[in-house]
Amino acid sequence: MRKSFPASDLARDSRFRRARTEDRFEDPRNEYLPQGRRPGKLTPERPDAAHAARQMMHGIFVGEIQALEGAGRTVWDFDDTEAPFALKLDMARQCWDEARHTEISVKLGDWMGTGIGEFAETAFLYQAACNPDPVLRLTGVNRALEGLAIDVFNTMREFGQACGDPVLEFCEDWMLADEVTHVKMGSDWLRRLTEHDPERRERALEFQRVVDKLFSFRGFRGEGEDSPIQLARTFRKMAGFGDAEIDTIAADARDDADEEGWKAPVG
Amino acid sequence: MADPAAPRSPFAPWDRRELPGLFTVEESARRVGHYAWIEMRLFEALGGWVATVPELDVKTTLGRHCYHHAWHAELWHKRLPELREMRPERLIAAPNAALEAFVAALTEPEAADLTVEKLVGVFRVLLPRKIAAYTYHLAATSRITDGPTIRSLGFILDDETTDWREGEMLLQSLIGTDEEVARAARRQAELEVLINRAGGIAGPGSLGAQPAPSTVGAPS
Repeated sequence: MRKSFPASDLARDSRFRRARTEDRFEDPRNEYLPQGRRPGKLTPERPDAAHAARQMMHGIFVGEIQALEGAGRTVWDFDDTEAPFALKLDMARQCWDEARHTEISVKLGDWMGTGIGEFAETAFLYQAACNPDPVLRLTGVNRALEGLAIDVFNTMREFGQACGDPVLEFCEDWMLADEVTHVKMGSDWLRRLTEHDPERRERALEFQRVVDKLFSFRGFRGEGEDSPIQLARTFRKMAGFGDAEIDTIAADARDDADEEGWKAPVG
Repeated sequence: MADPAAPRSPFAPWDRRELPGLFTVEESARRVGHYAWIEMRLFEALGGWVATVPELDVKTTLGRHCYHHAWHAELWHKRLPELREMRPERLIAAPNAALEAFVAALTEPEAADLTVEKLVGVFRVLLPRKIAAYTYHLAATSRITDGPTIRSLGFILDDETTDWREGEMLLQSLIGTDEEVARAARRQAELEVLINRAGGIAGPGSLGAQPAPSTVGAPS
């Protein structure tokens, strides 16, 4: 088995449909959205709430598979001189957690009325797990990707509360607890591995910022009332993010949304 | 109520543990180092394979089992300094080049249509060998002096047998045709040859020395 496994080769059964990230963002159906119209925070009052929630749940499901695959590859790709044994143990633990999240997401998808393959899958989450430097990969996966998971799970948990759906709220709350743990792992390892290498730490944080901008989906994730996925400040701080870091993610998301014009990632 | 001042044996009446065991501290440490090495190689391979298998149930099972073997590796890592090995990395090694060759062959398959080959290597070759070597250790070591190793072996064997059963069931559900039966058997035979040459996960003597043939009743 190779070291370093490209996103294009991720193994899937026949139900899955792969879409390119750029195609999702440049989907021509976006043009039919009125200028400046944003669907806003995911609430039961939105006319498309059921569809949007199902779509988000399917996105969570494929995201969990990719997070599982990313953690697994970190366990395999690096030898003991590149990644300490204790880091690999944490990544193995993360594999188990993401495997559970995959199972939970499939069952929640059934519960909400969607099925595997109803929406297309892009591989941009896994791509954050392809960096050849373990420190950069760790910040990409455990701080950017898992940080996004904190925001998404908190959004879905609140949506479950607002809908009066105890199953959704219960499951999202459990997954949120795991994600806080994963982000904390990332924060701790970033500090430990770059303790005597500030230049590497700076590169890792810059990589994280690039990935975070991508994961903000041009404002789809942010702090504005019109952002469907809300930044979960409290849980991020619990996981080792500083206020300044969260401010930067929020500001970058706002700038991107203003600059590019908000476009929903379709499918 | 019994008289609290009455003397009692330090061993409960049903506790039949005895002091003698086959392993010295050094021998126990040598074996534990080999156990740590194979658990590490296994959890790494399972993690790497997650992305390569298309079957969702296999993907999540590999993710779960990856952690089990990582935890076993951690238990063995922690045990080594307690066995007077202050540089654990010295003993965390394959027992011989033949076991390294076995692991290289085990971890070779990558393509998405080789799930059977991946699972056969783990669940029909390696896990049975691990269960055998761990069970032998449990039976052979001093049940009193090597208590901490025995406790870890108990947890680990429980995982290994549960995981083996689950992996075997996955294989039986994946193997549907005569050709697939033959593929699985071929793969098992190839890997059995290699691990047999190695003598098992702890090298020759993984299951103890072969006892001398009995001479009772033999012609003098």
